Amino acid sequence: MFHWLEKNPFFFSVGVFVVIAFAGLIEILPNFAEASRPVVGVKPYTVLELAGKNVYKKDACYECHSQLIRPFKSETDRYGQVSLSGEYAYDRPFLWGSKRTGPDLHRVGNYRTTDWHENHMWDPKSVVPQTVMPAYKHMFTNLADVDTAYAEALTVKNVFNTPYDAPNGIKLGTLDEGRAAALEDAKAIAANMKNKDVKDAVARGEIPEIVAIIAYLNRLK
Amino acid sequence: MNGLMIKGLLFAAVLIGATIYVVNSMKIDLSDPINLITMIGAVAIAVLTVGVSIKYINQMKTDKATGELADENWDGIGEYKNELPGGWAFSFLGTMIWAVWYFLAGYPLNAYSQIGEYNEEVLAYNAKFESVHKNADAATLQSMGESIFLVQCAPCHGETGDGLTGKAHDFTKRFSKEQVLHAIVNGSDQLKYAMGAMPGGMAQGADAEAIAEYVAGGMKGEQPASFGVCAGCHGADGKGNGGTAPNLVEYDDALVHQVVENGKKGSIGAMPAFKGRLTPVQEKALATYLSTIKG
Amino acid sequence: MQSNAALEYDYSVAKLFTYTTILFGFLGMLIGTLIAAQLAWPELNYLIGEYGTFSRLRPMHTQIVIFGFTLSGVFATFYYVGQRVMKVSMAESPFLMFMGKLHFWLYFVGALAAVITLELGMTQSKEYAAFEWPIDVVIVLVWVIWGISVFGLIGIRREKSLYISMWYYIATFLGIAMLYLFNNMSIPTYFASGGIGSIFHSVSMYSGTNDALVQWWYGHNAVAFGFTVPIVAMVYYFLPKESGQAVYSYKLSLLSFWGLMFVYLWAGSHHLMWSTVPDWMQTMGSIFSIVLILPSWGSAINMLLTMKGEWNQLTENPLIKFMVLASTFYMLSTLEGPIQAIRSVNAIAHFTDWIPGHVHDGVLGWVVFMIMAGLFHMAPRMFKREIYSKKLMEAQFWLQTTAVVLYFTSMWIAGITQGMMWRAVDEYGNLMYSFIDTVAVLHPYYAIRALSGVLYLVGFLMFAYNMIKTMTSSRVLTEEPQFRSPMA
Ligand code: HEC
Ligand code: HEC
Ligand code: HEC
Ligand code: HEM
Ligand code: HEM
Ligand SMILES: [Ca+2]
Ligand SMILES: [Ca+2]
Ligand SMILES: [Cu+2]
Repeated sequence: MFHWLEKNPFFFSVGVFVVIAFAGLIEILPNFAEASRPVVGVKPYTVLELAGKNVYKKDACYECHSQLIRPFKSETDRYGQVSLSGEYAYDRPFLWGSKRTGPDLHRVGNYRTTDWHENHMWDPKSVVPQTVMPAYKHMFTNLADVDTAYAEALTVKNVFNTPYDAPNGIKLGTLDEGRAAALEDAKAIAANMKNKDVKDAVARGEIPEIVAIIAYLNRLK
Repeated sequence: MNGLMIKGLLFAAVLIGATIYVVNSMKIDLSDPINLITMIGAVAIAVLTVGVSIKYINQMKTDKATGELADENWDGIGEYKNELPGGWAFSFLGTMIWAVWYFLAGYPLNAYSQIGEYNEEVLAYNAKFESVHKNADAATLQSMGESIFLVQCAPCHGETGDGLTGKAHDFTKRFSKEQVLHAIVNGSDQLKYAMGAMPGGMAQGADAEAIAEYVAGGMKGEQPASFGVCAGCHGADGKGNGGTAPNLVEYDDALVHQVVENGKKGSIGAMPAFKGRLTPVQEKALATYLSTIKG
Repeated sequence: MQSNAALEYDYSVAKLFTYTTILFGFLGMLIGTLIAAQLAWPELNYLIGEYGTFSRLRPMHTQIVIFGFTLSGVFATFYYVGQRVMKVSMAESPFLMFMGKLHFWLYFVGALAAVITLELGMTQSKEYAAFEWPIDVVIVLVWVIWGISVFGLIGIRREKSLYISMWYYIATFLGIAMLYLFNNMSIPTYFASGGIGSIFHSVSMYSGTNDALVQWWYGHNAVAFGFTVPIVAMVYYFLPKESGQAVYSYKLSLLSFWGLMFVYLWAGSHHLMWSTVPDWMQTMGSIFSIVLILPSWGSAINMLLTMKGEWNQLTENPLIKFMVLASTFYMLSTLEGPIQAIRSVNAIAHFTDWIPGHVHDGVLGWVVFMIMAGLFHMAPRMFKREIYSKKLMEAQFWLQTTAVVLYFTSMWIAGITQGMMWRAVDEYGNLMYSFIDTVAVLHPYYAIRALSGVLYLVGFLMFAYNMIKTMTSSRVLTEEPQFRSPMA
């Protein structure tokens, strides 16, 4: 039979395809049937947080940081409670990472604060002298892309029924409302920061990347 | 055994030896099952790869290619109709049978829960260390506290507890003058002491300055008269009236407990709350350790 | 049987892809060496501002070596091997010639756009699938065109029965086609929101744990169909061809092929051990990884046995050395991987440097060695000149072998140590090490790895130099060599 297949490329290819496609179905379908359901209390990202998440992706923090606390006592002691599937319900894409050159960040919002992040992102060595993490000074001047974050929120609301604008939920509203809400959130964060340029920018109505990423990091709880 | 095989296995042995040496120098407990299985796995990788590949490479020296050639020929490449190598065929069959057994009989679907295993791990840990914790004396608490501090607190407060030149609270002394002034001006309502909140603005101008200087100086020397307003709550000695208000002189158990549970935001910045992340023994250990950091 | 001499194979497309293999190989490994050095000496992060940080460059490294270097190598060898084992020339079909050239140029333009957009930070942030949707569209097009080439050539073949290498090239085509499409499913936010924000941005069709499952079903098999299957295609052609030996066993070829096809796809969840995917699925990934050892080793053993009795070729011909060592590095990574997939071992190995260690004994020792050997073998036949320097090739071999050994041994020790330090507790049951302790301890190993990168890169430059000299100024051959490649 195999000799025959080797002389008939069409059936050979069909054979290969069936053999490789098969496993995918069994691996992936059952979990999709389960769908990722949010655990109680998990809210979708605000526009500012999404903008921060996009900075996190743009500067590829996930190449060094995981967001997955595994069920070992050593990990829960270090990072907090074990990660649950439903906590990632609004993560598109997931950002678990596959390498911990730096520590896990899934709950970093619990044990680091705005002013610490400000110092750390400006110059990691000033807080952790032996670190290998690069400084991200450019985030203090680059502006976050709030419009794209809003577009993303609107997309997931419309396409995946992500519960924005639901009662007691996060309000998304129109683009202008989205921008205004992001600026309000940014002001609250800038109030706890020291960098003069950042404070001035926010006062002018601009949102530097650093403010967005801190909003995102603070939200990781 | 021939030279190539000996060299190969020697390489494997050196690699494993170096790994064990480095791991040991980090005081790793290799009897921990996970660590042990990992080391065994590493040995298996090194020895099997070297052993099997060199076995076949040696055949390049000793054997001759033989067999019945197939009719086909592709761009000059022929093909023998040789049987499968026995060891390979046997192992393949073996792993397949093992896999089926594992799934159906050995550890069938849903027989295992990683969260269940985690819960057991935590219980086992707690049981194992309970006795150490129950009888912890000051020296034990001190060294326990130091190691917790280095893991949980040093990223902000620095390894020596000096606050990294003003980025967090400096434990080499009790307070800086700004911190005390900040409390006097703004009051404080976050630590959840029995006394409740401290109102702001109870002293002004030169009085406030004098108090702040006095408290930041470790409450030594002559007490400014204006400190009386503080003494009402913090006690004349500043020690916090038996834990109902913060101790302004030392890092006592109550203070560390309240700060760690509730976090604190002051003139320097914000400290997160560690509620639920530290046990009472660990808090006590931290307090013991903090009280010993001296500039 | 028709003689080869009667047929003039057309290597123009193979040559074009040979050039990009060299170009992207150099670029990818240069960046690899730089990021390796950045972890040892973080000051190196600031050479080109925000565009030069470790995190911006690391995805560039992986995407360039995979989609630039490795894929170019796969295409180059396919356009060479495919014609020969099927006994047809591209020149026979103007349509296929056109498709081949279109394949190359679309690929090249796409690759440049991919490099630029990644450097600007436009990314879907999925490992090995980082490109944003417009680049994905180009990749899909390139793939379709390659498919037309593959099946077009098959359609006009003279050799009725497909040689083993063709099995693997076909599988590469089908595998990547299926995987890439599913994993890159995303919705461009610009269009979905009625024209707000960046046109490049998109959001994944899947979320959270589901997304992770699709990603690693893809990621694991991208390794399978990018770093394994087409490279096996190469070794099955180039080793017997260069040595003049017949393949040891058809049965072994057969079982290894179908075994690999069947088993590989099940193992993806070994990237998700101890995560929030269901326990049974993790167990499945672990079990199938162990079974996977045998079909993987089958091909390697088949190749080693093909060289039975040919010790003198091994010692005299550096090309044979490359390929035999590649086969053993393939054995190393396909045993190391399964062992890292065991639950308990993965508890240590995952997230540590042991994984990049495993990755690079596969890619440096197997993928790059095999691609270079293939191109070396092709060069005298494509350019009708003798290989420029055997001495240089010999030196390159030892230099790069040293480099791979330094890379994997340093990361092996680093990873195991780091993984165990994360778990370590002191006598009171508290964590023994702060995270930064586990970073600081790695410095010497990071430095060794950076050194290994420099050595490997120099080796690759020797390869590039040797190739360019072969193309341009080496002794002209009057006749095509049958087996062993002539070298000065
Ligand atoms: C080269 C690797 C690397 C990259 C890239 C990197 N980090 Fe880090 N990160 C580290 C290391 C190592 C540490 C631990 C030492 C320290 O705190 O600096 C760390 C620590 C952190 C911490 C503190 C977490 C804790 O528990 O102490 C945060 C928050 C953080 N990084 C955020 C980021 C963000 C956001 C980015 C991307 C913009 C990023 N990192 C990129 C290596 C990296
Ligand atoms: C009404 C009672 C009261 C009075 C009067 C009072 N305090 Fe306090 N003080 C407190 C309480 C309660 C707290 C803790 C508040 C909290 O929950 O944050 C506190 C907190 C503080 C702190 C911060 C302690 C820390 O460790 O962070 C300082 C410093 C301080 N007081 C100094 C003073 C000084 C100086 C005066 C006099 C000007 C004064 N207090 C008067 C009740 C008082
Ligand atoms: C993310 C940074 C951060 C971490 C982690 C952190 N701290 Fe703090 N901590 C601070 C900052 C900032 C302050 C100063 C707040 C101020 O006064 O402005 C502070 C203040 C304190 C104080 C209050 C001193 C006083 O009387 O006002 C204590 C006690 C303390 N920290 C203990 C700890 C302990 C114990 C840990 C570890 C379990 C810890 N901290 C971890 C940032 C941190
Ligand atoms: C039998 C075959 C193999 C098995 C079972 C296997 C298994 C594994 C495992 C368990 C991991 C680690 C996952 C984690 O914990 O993060 C891994 C990672 C990896 N392996 Fe393999 N491996 C195999 C062969 C190979 C080969 C031959 C190559 C390349 C030539 C390769 C390339 C990779 C890459 C690139 C990663 C990193 C994935 C990431 O980014 O996390 N593997 N493999
Ligand atoms: C000069 C040679 C090379 C050097 C010095 C090098 C260095 C590196 C470094 C430092 C990393 C990051 C590891 C980390 O984050 O800890 C990396 C990742 C990676 N490299 Fe290389 N690299 C080289 C060549 C290659 C080649 C030729 C390939 C593929 C053909 C390759 C494929 C990869 C892959 C797939 C990863 C991601 C691994 C993971 O996520 O686990 N590398 N490399
Ligand atoms: Ca990875
Ligand atoms: Ca993509
Ligand atoms: Cu894999």
